Amino acid sequence: MTTIEGDTNGWQPDPMRYYRSKRDAAHQKVASKYKIVGFISSGTYGRVYKAISKDGTESVHAIKKFKPDKEGDVVTYTGISQSAIREIALNREISHENVVAMREVILEEKSIYMVFEYAEHDFLQVIHHHAQTLRTPISMPVLKSLTYQLLNGLLYLHEAHIIHRDLKPANILINSSGTVKIGDLGLARITYQPLQPLFAGDKVVVTIWYRAPELLMGARHYHWAVDTWAVGCVVAELASLRPIFKGEEVKMDGKKNVPFQRDQLIKVFEVVGTPDEKDWPGFVDMPEYQSVKKLDRWANCPMATTLPTNRLSQWCNSKLRAQLGYDLLQQLFTYDPDKRLRCREALMHKWFEEDPKPTRNAFSSLQGHHIPPHRRITQEDTQSIVQTQAHPAAPPPMHALSHSVLPASGASFASLSGGQQTVRPKKRARV
Amino acid sequence: MAADFWSSSHHKRWIVDRAALKQARAEDMRYVKDPLFFDLFNIFTGNLIARICKKLGFRQRVTATASVFFRRFYLKNSYCETDPFIVIAACCYVAAKAEEFPVHIKTVINESRSAFSRLGVKNFPTDNSKLAEMEFYLVSDLECDFVVFHPYRTLMAICGKEGGKGSDQEAGEHGFGVNDGPRYWGTGEGKLLLQESAFQNVWLIINDLYRTELCLIYPPHLIAIGALMVTLAYHTSMKPIIQQAHNERTPSNSNKLQSSPQPRRSGRTGHSEKEKEKEKDKKPPQDVIGFLAGLNVSMSAVGTVVQEILSFYTLWDLFTDEKNQDTFKSAQPSTSNLLSRGTAGVKRDASGNPIQETLPPAPIDFANEPPREPVSAASILQAFVKMREARMADLANQRPPPVNKMLEKTQNMNID
Repeated sequence: MTTIEGDTNGWQPDPMRYYRSKRDAAHQKVASKYKIVGFISSGTYGRVYKAISKDGTESVHAIKKFKPDKEGDVVTYTGISQSAIREIALNREISHENVVAMREVILEEKSIYMVFEYAEHDFLQVIHHHAQTLRTPISMPVLKSLTYQLLNGLLYLHEAHIIHRDLKPANILINSSGTVKIGDLGLARITYQPLQPLFAGDKVVVTIWYRAPELLMGARHYHWAVDTWAVGCVVAELASLRPIFKGEEVKMDGKKNVPFQRDQLIKVFEVVGTPDEKDWPGFVDMPEYQSVKKLDRWANCPMATTLPTNRLSQWCNSKLRAQLGYDLLQQLFTYDPDKRLRCREALMHKWFEEDPKPTRNAFSSLQGHHIPPHRRITQEDTQSIVQTQAHPAAPPPMHALSHSVLPASGASFASLSGGQQTVRPKKRARV
Repeated sequence: MAADFWSSSHHKRWIVDRAALKQARAEDMRYVKDPLFFDLFNIFTGNLIARICKKLGFRQRVTATASVFFRRFYLKNSYCETDPFIVIAACCYVAAKAEEFPVHIKTVINESRSAFSRLGVKNFPTDNSKLAEMEFYLVSDLECDFVVFHPYRTLMAICGKEGGKGSDQEAGEHGFGVNDGPRYWGTGEGKLLLQESAFQNVWLIINDLYRTELCLIYPPHLIAIGALMVTLAYHTSMKPIIQQAHNERTPSNSNKLQSSPQPRRSGRTGHSEKEKEKEKDKKPPQDVIGFLAGLNVSMSAVGTVVQEILSFYTLWDLFTDEKNQDTFKSAQPSTSNLLSRGTAGVKRDASGNPIQETLPPAPIDFANEPPREPVSAASILQAFVKMREARMADLANQRPPPVNKMLEKTQNMNID
């Protein structure tokens, strides 16, 4: 066989040069298509901006810019992250009223820009508005509508074999028409015939307070049920305006071992009770079973709704004030992942048939100041934000949080709100 | 929905017709006389992708996705204006991420380099950033559509192997209790019972077809059924079953000899318990023809796919390799036991085959043409290099490719 080394002398040093100049010439820049009107939030992935389309429609968007990689001070191509590929791939396939729609992706100057529909509010902001400004619980019609639409969006994802793996109030948006939009698919993935166990890809999924017990127990295999557990946590938080299982996260050690989340599990057991083999046959086979055996036991009578020992029932009586709502929550907090309520079943739950019924516009029952305020955007120098990202040391003092970026709400562009009572855990450790 | 082909980006944006394919080659055609070159070049590039992916330890689905990305890229670009080798490497790199089977960029560079240098392609970059840069452009040209549907999925569905346990190839965890959303493939009720070796045979044909552009023209389920048809027609294990089904339909012709169980193929004796059980299950034999006739697909479309498959194998027969024969052949699944290749075998089988009622007579495209000279990878590579040199020379003479130093400088992000 002859080699073509001799022929290559006539080649250009870079045979793709023509291709690139052709593509670059045809490229429509972000700045030519959108007017950036402000900065929304940032996280480990990069930053989110509010932008207005220059196409004449004046439509409003959120542009998520993935942080370009740097070698020293020089921005260079290092390969697109798995998380970006996954988020883009899934967003290109899906279309549902209750899931944030991606309009386009622009690749420019070694950065990736994802353009989303804009959403004025999010669950976290609604919770803060009620906890701090209004100082009243979220009304039942709103609570029920938000829950119903959240389940409806999640049903769509699950039927498409997508599990979200990072549901939490900051990631669930609401637009100005009161429509719930599930956002941030950065950790979501297709579970249809995976080539490797899900565990192999991402060691830690779901923000600690919303993490399902099978994940806390170190399960190597898991499925859609991690999302419905998180829905339970979110609904409980909407009802009480504070996280229901507010555990202390054990940080990763340097050896990349996933630590046992003792405190978080205790917080769950305190309310739902310690599971046994009867509730959850797979419980004893969980990697962390031995660690759990050392913990105190909490009484567990999920079926005996009237017994005073049932902490979840007590909790619901004071917070949710609805027997059927308690029933839904209890089924979402089923320990055995295989028996946990599915989205479809949850949507058919009697609570949604009982008055007040959920509405298409979740805010339709509200007036004036009860509707949460518009998302806050800032004009601050974005470069300084990159700097603070590099040193995520201590959270800023509470007063500073009220008018700056939340350090802890890394997962989405959804997290600015009027105030902050609790420092929220980061999405998850990057492994 | 990611679980539904009909609402996928694959179906909506990436199934094209012949005219679009022809249009994509318009620039290249100015430099190559024989359009057959592009079919051969598809085999050449398909072989390369398969070889690199194998070196990278990819599962077949990742290889298939990489191949589809490559074909899609050249729907929008000309071979003569690009470097297919860096494109191949980038396709492998992106496909790995798209299929949640990531590998390090350096590994892709190294394996690609070694595969290309064996062919004689010398100027492949060593720098990570070069491949990462290509990835950026590739992702743009792919319009960020990374979810690809493959015929394997249809094959598994037809044979009731969904869940992965029945297949060695795609074994692996299937999220237990995964919510089974509505599938485009019927109800899952009633499945085709295939002998394991026949199933593998279909699988291998599907692998081979990534050396063609069929994945751009036909939806994956038609390719799967086409590969299944070819297997049914040519695979030895299927003959008695089909014959019996045929006899049952036409009782006057019934032949007791034909319906007696056939001994297993020699190469497969002493096979696993699994297969024995499968064979037990198979009595009485399934009405295969009835099963296929019951599929809700266009049989004439399937017939066309079958024809394309046969043409492809005929063409692949021309493909020899001088120096790299061992490595090249080892990178591709052996096709010798798939079916008797060559036009003669095809003609004979097509004329007397009992399932011809479901298959249109399959005239082979090349049957009426003079026999072709065997071709080697090296000669294809040389033809490609010539084509590109001619194009580059033209570009240099007519309109020099713009060097956009100024543009680059002004490309400061206003956003920052």
